Amino acid sequence: MINVRDLHKSFGDNEILKGISTHVEEKEVVVVIGPSGSGKSTFLRCLNGLETATSGEIEIAGMTLTDPKTNIHKLRQHVGMVFQQFNLFKHLTILENITIGPRKVKKIPAAEANRIARELLAKVGLVGKEANYPDELSGGQQQRVAIARALAMGPNVMLFDEPTSALDPEMVGEVLQVMKALAVEGMTMVVVTHEMGFAREVGHRVVFMDDGLILEEGPPSELFSNPQRNRTKSFLAKIL
Amino acid sequence: MEVIWQNLPVILVGLRLTIQYSIVAIILMVVIGLIAALMRLSKFAPLRWIATAYVEIFRSTPLLVQLFFIVLGLPAILPVNEWFGQLWYPILAAALTLSLNEGAYVTEIIRAGILGVDRGQKEAAQSIGMNGFQTMRYIVLPQAFKRMIPPLVNQAAQTIKDTSLLAPVGIAELVYKGEIVIAETFASFAIWGLIAVLYFILIFSLSKFSSYLERRLQVDKR
Ligand SMILES: Nc1ncnc2c1ncn2[C@@H]1O[C@H](COP(=O)(O)OP(=O)(O)OP(=O)(O)O)[C@@H](O)[C@H]1O
Ligand SMILES: [Mg+2]
Repeated sequence: MINVRDLHKSFGDNEILKGISTHVEEKEVVVVIGPSGSGKSTFLRCLNGLETATSGEIEIAGMTLTDPKTNIHKLRQHVGMVFQQFNLFKHLTILENITIGPRKVKKIPAAEANRIARELLAKVGLVGKEANYPDELSGGQQQRVAIARALAMGPNVMLFDEPTSALDPEMVGEVLQVMKALAVEGMTMVVVTHEMGFAREVGHRVVFMDDGLILEEGPPSELFSNPQRNRTKSFLAKIL
Repeated sequence: MEVIWQNLPVILVGLRLTIQYSIVAIILMVVIGLIAALMRLSKFAPLRWIATAYVEIFRSTPLLVQLFFIVLGLPAILPVNEWFGQLWYPILAAALTLSLNEGAYVTEIIRAGILGVDRGQKEAAQSIGMNGFQTMRYIVLPQAFKRMIPPLVNQAAQTIKDTSLLAPVGIAELVYKGEIVIAETFASFAIWGLIAVLYFILIFSLSKFSSYLERRLQVDKR
């Protein structure tokens, strides 16, 4: 589903990604961990073209992202993204937040888009909030809407960039719950998170990133209990 | 009082012309300002240069000089009167010059409004597959517009006042008609007073309308 070969990304002279290669299978849930500034967000943003790779190759959802001929807008319809800060459209209602993509990008009729949106709201447990505005919802509710907004485009892959880091502790669970349900349904997911419980329970593979490289990867049970590299050990010691 | 009543019809014709020029200039300044603001934010450097040059030139010279130069200066070297007609050239040129001048300020208002929208909003729009146009049209501009209303209303008030500078280049509007009446009646105090009151009413109702508009938007949309 995702194939990354020797991905490099620099901002000016500052090389942030120093040659990332990895592969994500269909229906696989990959959890990305690593210290702050190691390039996790940059990596994820490269996967849907929010950042342009300096060199290397990315294939995702059957398209070659790094090929200049690829229609990036088309590609992004197949790659959903959930942000740390939710980024719901502030001027639109919850329902409109979810329908605007299907309506304006996929040109789906309003009635059909509304039907899809209501289904998704039911799925993320937010029936009854259709007419509210984002700032009337709690952080956890907003993040669940953001997930529904991404799902409304019918993506093949979902990318999550620390989806629960901006939330009060009591709201983390409700968002992880939704993500877990998604994983169980067979969604292909790449999740940057420090929620080790989620990684253990839902993740098929954990990738440890440090200083722009993938230092180590493996099934959560192995990587957490028996890390091979010293950097991984010291990082895990800090967060576990 | 007597003199006001007698000359009111002439003054009201001037007022109507002032309102017409104001409406045209306010509409055009927003259109021009939007285009120039988008050009200033374009990835394509020549577009940015053109828009920046436009803004700087119009903001760094007096409107009165711009009006004299374009309305009265240009016909001295180009047969513009033949192209547009003796009667129409000054009117079109004056209205356009005024719009371009105000548009330069509007460019900066709209640009600041667009830049003030959180970057995450744009990224979220892109992440659901919106192209540059859709992102602007459905996400960035609607949010930018709300914060742009107060400065835009200010600029509209300025535009109404600036139409008075059309009189010196020979365009009939409120001040121009007032000068004609005063030349005949010598009633400067009464007529200038009347004209000031009329401008005040125009601009005061504009600002009342805009606070109403802002309140409405506050309630409807966040
Ligand atoms: N647009 C940018 N321009 C310049 N430097 C950037 C840009 N975006 C990220 N960086 C730099 O790249 C490095 C890696 O950032 P990134 O956000 O990918 O790290 P991260 O692993 O997600 O960290 P965190 O856990 O804090 O979110 C940081 O040093 C950051 O300053
Ligand atoms: Mg990050």
